[in-house]
Amino acid sequence: MKDVILVQRRIPRCSESENQRKLAELRELARAGNYNVVQEVIQTRYPDRQYQIGKGKAEEVAELALSQKPAKIIFYNPLSVTQVYNLSEMCKCEVIDKFQLILEIFASRATTRRSRMQVELARLEYELPRARKIVSLLKMEERPGFMGLGGYEDSYEQDVKKRISRIKKELSTGQRDSESLRGYRHSEGFSLLSLAGYTNAGKSTLFRTLVDENVEVENMLFTTLSPTTRYLNINGRWTLLTDTVGFIEDLPHFLVDAFRSTLEDVFRADIILLVVDISEPVDIIRKKLAVSHEIFWEQLEKATIITAINKADRLFPEELSSRLKSIAYLAPNPVVVSAKTGEGLDELKDIIHSHLPEWKRFTLELPMSGESMSAVSWLFEEGIVHSVNYGHNIVMDVEARNEVYRKAKSLEKRLSFR
Amino acid sequence: MERIIAVDISGRHRHNSRYLMVCAAVSLSIAGGHVKQIHDVNIKPFVSDTPPEVVDVVQMIERTVEGMVGVTIVAEKGDLFNQSEWLSNSMFTASFKYPESLSERMGIEIAHHISLSSRNLLLDSRSWEPIKDNL
Repeated sequence: MKDVILVQRRIPRCSESENQRKLAELRELARAGNYNVVQEVIQTRYPDRQYQIGKGKAEEVAELALSQKPAKIIFYNPLSVTQVYNLSEMCKCEVIDKFQLILEIFASRATTRRSRMQVELARLEYELPRARKIVSLLKMEERPGFMGLGGYEDSYEQDVKKRISRIKKELSTGQRDSESLRGYRHSEGFSLLSLAGYTNAGKSTLFRTLVDENVEVENMLFTTLSPTTRYLNINGRWTLLTDTVGFIEDLPHFLVDAFRSTLEDVFRADIILLVVDISEPVDIIRKKLAVSHEIFWEQLEKATIITAINKADRLFPEELSSRLKSIAYLAPNPVVVSAKTGEGLDELKDIIHSHLPEWKRFTLELPMSGESMSAVSWLFEEGIVHSVNYGHNIVMDVEARNEVYRKAKSLEKRLSFR
Repeated sequence: MERIIAVDISGRHRHNSRYLMVCAAVSLSIAGGHVKQIHDVNIKPFVSDTPPEVVDVVQMIERTVEGMVGVTIVAEKGDLFNQSEWLSNSMFTASFKYPESLSERMGIEIAHHISLSSRNLLLDSRSWEPIKDNL
């Protein structure tokens, strides 16, 4: 584990708890990036153009860097290229901000080609507005002339732009593939469920408990980067449950855009399970829910939202009910669950079942023949068979989606006319 | 179930050297993810020679919601020049907030459609159709 120093510039007259929470989030992110926090430096002031924090504070950080010898200095506040340059010159150490840290984490976690491309895209989009400045700062001491300043700056920027458009093109092809896959899944009668919510709300734990599988679960931010989809049986109906990347506060636009294709799995689902960590303070839960609602409002087409109030085992019943009351207006279809202990999962399945697209229940009478027997096995695959009576005729009580109902009825008509 | 008054103002741009604005307020009951019931709708047109300032916006909203039943007024942050919620809240006599839930946003969308279409109706003289030819 490498050592790091965290720096946060706080805005004057901003609430203390909010600042504390933001610093805690940066601490968590540093941990997710496999760093060991050796020191935290805080200053309350308006931003400085040269150093983000005041010059005196920057010198203090430089002294700390000299004595502690950290691998990096991580700022909570976004840094401009000039600020990064000035700070790293002063501290003689690599200086990054929160977004670069997120990008680093994403890069280290990206396992599929698609997620690697998304990370690369996010990195390039972050770099693009800074490209010219980076080159000019690096070549500041060079003389003009052959291979000097000028043409070089432009060509680097052009190069970044070309790479961005190439990656976007490749990602859009992949997106078409996944759209057709979703269409196929729908036509096969699967309803699509998605887990959504903030990072560390317990989405992966709930996913694992629901599908009874060992998906990577850690008490860390951004454990899930690529969506994982598994079968899930909801009271006899087969659905597909997808675990997705978590939301994060103040996530910059270039990161949201880069991970749009990942988040699209959430927006195209029939039912969204919005997972909330109820053990957090009410203000934070409310804020996180409001951000989630804002994201849904902008992106959602037509989906039912079910709020899975997770980590209920960490609270006393009285506290839980008072918290539920205060977030009721932000929690559509709430179900209290504990992914860890399995409490409330049956209720969750019941409420999911009640919101699944309606299936038709019908009786089918087929003559005893080879073709009818294959129709019976087809119905066992496509729907829920409540009962079968093999007598002179085969009488079935079946529940299935509309297309299957129509097919089965026409088959019944055709076979009984023979 | 909560009762709110969703508000929206249309026409905050110059039109024939004047600002012709319509404020719509909708009193509704909402639940977690949907609007349960619409109780009341108020529409009020306003005219000004100068662009509206925050105080004018607050006044327009207060005059439109007059007499309506509802606990909290909800309007888009942009309508109040993106100022902080506590500041906007302190300017109103009733309780005020920005939208948080999907249902509150739905309420504002309804108010937006009402204010926009009523402004279009008021501005377009051709929309006044005679019932009989001799009128």
